[in-house]
Amino acid sequence: MSDIILKTKDLTKKYQNKVVVDGLNLEIRKGEIFGLLGPNGAGKSTTMNMVCSIVRPTAGTVELLGKNPWKQKKDVIHKIGYIPQELAIHGNLKAWENVELFTSLYGIKGETLKKTVEESLAYVGLLEKRNEFAKNFSGGMKRRLNIACAIGHNPDLLIFDEPTVGIDPQSRNFILEKIKESNQKGATVIYTSHYMEEVEAICSRIAIMDNGKVIACGTSEELKKMVTNGSDDISLEEVFLTLTGKSLRDFSN
Amino acid sequence: MIRYLIKNNLKLMLRNKWTIAVMILGPVFVTALLSSAFEDLMASYEATEEFQVGYRMEEESNLKDSIEVIKEAGKESGISFVEYPGGKIKELMEHNDLAGFVEIGRENYTVYESADYVTEGITLEYFLNRCMKEGTWQALKETIPSLEEENTALPVQKIDYLPAVEAKDYYGIIEIVYFCWMCVVCLSNVLTGEKKNGIERKYQVTNLSGIKLYFSKWLPIVIATTAEMAVSVTVTIVLFDIHWGNLLPSAGILLLLIMASAAFGLMLYYLFKNLAVTVIVLFTAVWFMGFFGGSFETYMFSSTPDVLKNSSPIYHVNRTLVEYSCMGHSGYTNSCIFYMLAMILICSCIAILVDGVRKRGRA
Repeated sequence: MSDIILKTKDLTKKYQNKVVVDGLNLEIRKGEIFGLLGPNGAGKSTTMNMVCSIVRPTAGTVELLGKNPWKQKKDVIHKIGYIPQELAIHGNLKAWENVELFTSLYGIKGETLKKTVEESLAYVGLLEKRNEFAKNFSGGMKRRLNIACAIGHNPDLLIFDEPTVGIDPQSRNFILEKIKESNQKGATVIYTSHYMEEVEAICSRIAIMDNGKVIACGTSEELKKMVTNGSDDISLEEVFLTLTGKSLRDFSN
Repeated sequence: MIRYLIKNNLKLMLRNKWTIAVMILGPVFVTALLSSAFEDLMASYEATEEFQVGYRMEEESNLKDSIEVIKEAGKESGISFVEYPGGKIKELMEHNDLAGFVEIGRENYTVYESADYVTEGITLEYFLNRCMKEGTWQALKETIPSLEEENTALPVQKIDYLPAVEAKDYYGIIEIVYFCWMCVVCLSNVLTGEKKNGIERKYQVTNLSGIKLYFSKWLPIVIATTAEMAVSVTVTIVLFDIHWGNLLPSAGILLLLIMASAAFGLMLYYLFKNLAVTVIVLFTAVWFMGFFGGSFETYMFSSTPDVLKNSSPIYHVNRTLVEYSCMGHSGYTNSCIFYMLAMILICSCIAILVDGVRKRGRA
C-alpha cells in the first residue's frame, strides 16, 4: 500500500480570471507534519479548502488516501480533521456542547460520544472548563476548543489552517505540543502558518507557495541550502523572503 | 446524526432571550394595541340593527328558487329583503329609506349602497358574498332549522350567521398568526454564528447532506416557535380573555402554520444567504400578505378584491381560525391546510435545491 496520504495533480482554482492555485502538485506522506508556507493570497487556504471538499477545483485532481474527496466524499471525509482559520465554534454553546455538536456529525453517538467529548476536551486542557460558554473564553482557549471540535472522530489527516493566530505564547506552545503529540499517535498533519519558527520547529517537510504555485519544497535544511548554495546558516524567514520577495502582498478575496 | 445538531441548534435558539421576548410579548402588545384601537369600529359593525334592503330579480335568474332561503338567512343576520319589481332604484332607496338595493340578473347581481348606510352596505356585500360562495346543506340547516331538504336545490350552498367576533378575539388570533410568520428570526443566533464563524464551511467537511442540514434548522424553529406561541396564546387568553373556540383544530392549524412559516423563512435565507435581507424581504412579504389577508383591517369588511384575499395564505389561516373562534367551524379549513402543506413542500424543496446549486456554484 502506498504511503502517500494526499496527492494533488495539476490542482488549479480560478475565480473569474484570477488564478488562485495554479497547477499545484503535492505529495504528502503518511506520518509527516507537512508545513505549507506562503504570503497572504498565495493560495494556501484555497488549497486546503479543495482538499477538504469545501471548494471544487477548476482543474486537476486531489487524491486523499487514494480516493477523490469530491466523488467519494462519504468514504474519505471522516478521515479528515479540519481546523479552520476562523474560530468555528458557537459562542452561546458550552465547551462540551460545541465538541459534542461537531463530533456527532461524524456519526459518533451515545456513550461513545460522551466519552469522546471528555477525551477531546481533556486533550486540549479544557476539561475543567467544559461547562463554560465559549463566548467567555480567551483567544487561546477558543483556539484549543476549535481543535477539540475537530479531533474527536480520530482522523488520519489533520489540517491546521493558521491555528495559532492571535494567541499568547503559552497557548501557542501548548497547541504545537499537541500537534506533535497527535502526529506521534499516527496522524498526518498539514500545517499552514505565517510563523516561520513554528513551522521550522514542528514540520518534517515544508512547501513554500507563492502566486498559487509551490516554489520550493523540502526539509528546513534543504530549503536553506537551496538559497545559500549549500550553507544552512540562515533563518527560514530569510529563505522565505528570498524566495517570495519583500514587496507587500495586499490582496482581497 | 442530526439529533445532536437539532438539540444544539434548539439550545442556541432558546438562549437568545431577545427573540424569545419579542416572539412571546410581541403578539401580546400588538393585540392590546389593535384590539383597543379597533374595538369601537368592530362594535359598530356588530351593533348594526336590522336594516331593510330592496331587491329586484329577473324572471330567468338562477337565484329565483333560492331567494326565499336567502331572505330567511338574511333575516337571521338582521337584513330584511323587500321586493320592488318596478321603479327607479335611486328613488326607491331614497323614498323607502333602504340601506341598499340588490338587482339580481340571470347570472349576476349588482349591489347599490346608500351613502347614509355605509356599515350596512358593507355588511350586505359580505352577506351576499357568503351566500354565493360557500357551504353545505348542514350549515344551512343549522342557520334555518325549519328548512326542508327540497328547498336546497339552489346555487346557495351555505349561509351562516355573520360572525360576530369581538375586536380582542379577532386581533388576539390574527396577531399570533402574524408573529408565527416571523419565526425564522428565532434562528438568527444560529445563522449568524454559522456564517460569521465559518461553521457552514466546516459542515462541508462532514457527511452532512443538504437535506439533513435543512431539517436541522427547520425542526428547531418549529419546536421553539410552537413553545413560544403556546406561551403567548396562554398569556393573551389570561390577559384579554381571547376566545379561540375550537381549540384542538386551532392548535393543529397553528402548528401547520409554524411549519409553513419556518419553511418560507428558511427558503428566503437560503436564497439570499444574508439574515438582514431575509428579515427585510420576509417582513415585506408578510406585511403584504397580512394587508390582503386581514391582519390589520378585518378581512370581513375590507374592500380588498377577493382574488387578492384568496391569494394570501394569511387570509386562509386568519379566516379559518377566526371562524373557529366565532362559529366553531370553518369552510376555509381545507384550503388553509392545502396552502400550508403546499408551502412546506415547495419552500423546503426550493431551499434544499438552492443550497445544492450554491455549493456546486461555489465550487
